Amino acid sequence: MIPRHRCVIFAALLAAACRAGAPRAELPLPPPAPARGDTSCTIAAGRAVARDTITFAVTDPVDPAHAPLPRNDAERLVFGQLYESLIRVDCQGRALAGLAATWQQATGDRWAFTLRDNARFWDGAPVTARDVLASWRSHDATLAADFTVTGDRTFTVPASAAPFQRLADQALAVTKPAPAGSWPIGTGRYWMTGGDPASPDVLVAQPMARAGYPVVKLATVPASAARDALDGEAGVLITDDPAALEYARTLPGYVDIPLEWNRTYVLLAPGRDKPVVGDLRLESLREAVRGDARPAEWSGPGRFWFTDLESCGVPAGRDTLGAAGRRRRIVYKQSDRSAADLAARLVGLGALGRGAVAAGVPPTAFESALRAGTDAAYVLELRRRVYDVCRTALELPPWISAATVAPLLDVRSHAVVRRGLPRMTLDWDGTLRLSPP
Amino acid sequence: MSFRARLLLGFGAVVLVPLTVFGLRVRVVMTNRLTTEYQQRVAALASVIRADLDRQSAGIAQRLAALREAIAQDNKFRSAVVQQGGERSYLLDYAGDAMRLAGLSVLQIQDGTGRIVSSGHFRNEYDRSDPALPRLLAAAPEGTALVEARTAEASFLALARVDSLRVFGRLFTLVGGIPVDSSLLGRLTPDSELRVAVALPSDTASVADPAAQVVTSLDVPFVTAGDSARLLPARIVVSHSLASLTALRRGVALSFLVAVLVTGLIALLLASWLSTRISRPLTELAAKTADVDMDRLDVAFDSDRPDEIGALSRLLGAMTERLRAGAARLREAERRLAMGDLARQVNHDVKNGLIPIRNVFRHFAQAAGEGPDQLAAAFRDRQATVESSIAYLETLASNYARLYPQPARESCDVNAVVRETVKRVGETGQADLCLELAEALRPVRTDPLVLRRILENLIGNAVDSLAARAGNVTVSTGANGAAGVRITVADTGKGMTQEELNRAFDDFYTTKPGGTGLGLSIVRRLVLDANGTLRVETEPGAGSRFIVELPSEGA
Repeated sequence: MIPRHRCVIFAALLAAACRAGAPRAELPLPPPAPARGDTSCTIAAGRAVARDTITFAVTDPVDPAHAPLPRNDAERLVFGQLYESLIRVDCQGRALAGLAATWQQATGDRWAFTLRDNARFWDGAPVTARDVLASWRSHDATLAADFTVTGDRTFTVPASAAPFQRLADQALAVTKPAPAGSWPIGTGRYWMTGGDPASPDVLVAQPMARAGYPVVKLATVPASAARDALDGEAGVLITDDPAALEYARTLPGYVDIPLEWNRTYVLLAPGRDKPVVGDLRLESLREAVRGDARPAEWSGPGRFWFTDLESCGVPAGRDTLGAAGRRRRIVYKQSDRSAADLAARLVGLGALGRGAVAAGVPPTAFESALRAGTDAAYVLELRRRVYDVCRTALELPPWISAATVAPLLDVRSHAVVRRGLPRMTLDWDGTLRLSPP
Repeated sequence: MSFRARLLLGFGAVVLVPLTVFGLRVRVVMTNRLTTEYQQRVAALASVIRADLDRQSAGIAQRLAALREAIAQDNKFRSAVVQQGGERSYLLDYAGDAMRLAGLSVLQIQDGTGRIVSSGHFRNEYDRSDPALPRLLAAAPEGTALVEARTAEASFLALARVDSLRVFGRLFTLVGGIPVDSSLLGRLTPDSELRVAVALPSDTASVADPAAQVVTSLDVPFVTAGDSARLLPARIVVSHSLASLTALRRGVALSFLVAVLVTGLIALLLASWLSTRISRPLTELAAKTADVDMDRLDVAFDSDRPDEIGALSRLLGAMTERLRAGAARLREAERRLAMGDLARQVNHDVKNGLIPIRNVFRHFAQAAGEGPDQLAAAFRDRQATVESSIAYLETLASNYARLYPQPARESCDVNAVVRETVKRVGETGQADLCLELAEALRPVRTDPLVLRRILENLIGNAVDSLAARAGNVTVSTGANGAAGVRITVADTGKGMTQEELNRAFDDFYTTKPGGTGLGLSIVRRLVLDANGTLRVETEPGAGSRFIVELPSEGA
């Protein structure tokens, strides 16, 4: 048996290796051929032991309606097992084979792709180039407009100025609608069978091929019950709850692996007249939230993607409402505890002046309020890394071009992994995938 | 104003005035009593509220003392505040956890400089400097004051106290409190009609509800927020909703009004019944008295009442009896006078008839003395005179014989007699005769011949009154109450003057050429003999109405 301290050191070294290879702001040019995998993006907690079932415990909700594009860490973990894009991008930013086995530069300034031989949907149907075209049409009509099918499993797309890695975007995962309208049918290594009859709150994903892959159970637990999941049979817990993390560190059977800083909280204020957080001591924001956070920073070249959207053709707008026409409140999504803490801290620091308040609203109301832009400021969480900036920019409110965006904090979740679990790999956008056995 | 109306007013005044005075008095007494009890209750309530506030303040002080002990024993807290780089998150979360465990809604831990090191009600307000708050709270009377506690979402009013402790020689203050919300204010008074509110120095109107009245207020210090924080007086205002009192007064007034109306109505009904009971005999006496005249003296004034009404009725009966006797004597005197007049008239008439005869006989005697030829000549000469006188006497005898018919008493159909008489008179064609006969007329008990003579005279007079003028005569019949029949002969003739009317029933008075002057006299006597009455309504130039009223059979 491996001594405990050696396992901890090994896991820490792996995590440090991932952080050391932190992604850069701009992705590298596409390599002429898929990169060969290495272990720099592998997460392992001790020696892997074969097992039949792994339970993923998550504290965020998982909604099939969002598939295949995840909205939170839990969905990113689940969708990563179920759906595939043409390519993957590992934590180093290197393009890896996904649904496409190979690709190359083709004539006419195009990229030619060849699908994996054994690529099949969950229902057993082989994945063809026309399936890719149909799926893209439903997600990205622009990209599908110049899609050319050259064979049953080959096709070409125009080589654009956009990074090649954008083809790894989960929004471009190849799916087809399910007859019952529930989970879209994907091509990943797992397919969602539905709930566990013994535990209605647990989803069960079966491996497509019994080649050593374990069955994956997905248990959604409230943050307050995260420790219960650790005391139970959870193999992986994705959480940012400090109490659960503190408890996990006391458990010898688990390893706490910090994931990437993959989310950034920003203060979005309509209008560019006066900076909302101009003289405030933002360094104290990190103490305002309970989870793992750091001051928002962009270590690579360039800036945060959401601060430079002019290249996407977003016109520079003008604030027509003015500060006087807006309610002096900082609005946040009620279910987002970190956003609530940040809004409260900003009020405590005197942002917007005396008399301003923080206002938490339900998620649907928050979307409406954000789109209307009638409040003085909004605290919202944005993905720190995106493959396709311009497509993601469409998720921002229409007045973004006439707004002030102040990055506040970077946050990340932790994966508490049971020792002996199969290895997992970490993609550039923070997606965890079970590695092949 | 009638006697009955006066009785009604009198009864009403007698009942309503005392009732109104009584009601007003009851209302005044009730209002005074309510006011007194209300003032006593308010005074007691103010003491209860003050005691409750003191109890709440003591509770806060106890909880702060317990927290002070707990903090002093908490090594993690000590480490966080003493050692740089200690568990900062533990310190920031400390006040929130401690506040909830202690049952407080406000808890703020500040260091000696006034910097907030941990806040329970506003966790992320840390590092803000607020040195004035603990200082002012410590200076507040009783150590308690109202403060405006701030959270990220809103501010709320709290009743707060301050405590302090030292950790590693460094001073820390604990500001703790409970919210002064509707729940606390509601607990201060169990009376739902009383409302407790807080009036801050910035409030211009202490009682927003216009239907409420401030009954008392308690002074509580208030710590203002901001850079120029200081202690200002605030008030806990107890107001009373006047709605229920107004409703009570309105209810009492309504009840009083209803009572007055009901009692007044009963009084009016009682007064009406009493006045009717009192005035009805008088009214009946008046009606009977109105029926009395010289031709109708058989009105009965009998009464068994022992009171003044009975005495009055009996007096009127006695008076009527005396009138009846007087009338009989007067009628006898008139009859005797008429008989005297008639005797003298007969004497005169007979003499007038006999005088020619006596003269003729004297002539015959003289002629007989002169020879049979002379007698025969005288007879031839005077035969006409004798025959004329005899005729005159016969006529006279017939006339006088008609003065005293011998009527029979039998059931007589008035309408049949009227029709027959009108038919016979109408055959002369002297005037238009109209008939207006009532149906189902009860028969009268009299001699049909007498009735016919009455009608012949009246209709004949009516026709004669028309003379050469165009007009008509209307004969109508009808019931005269329940026990009589009325026959009316109306004409549109020349009518009578008052002087003519006064003498119309005198014997031998006539205005017609060739009239005997006995017609109406006979009619009057025949009507009286039939126990009836005869009245005349006349107007010169417009005509006359002769009204005969006869008792019905069995009346």
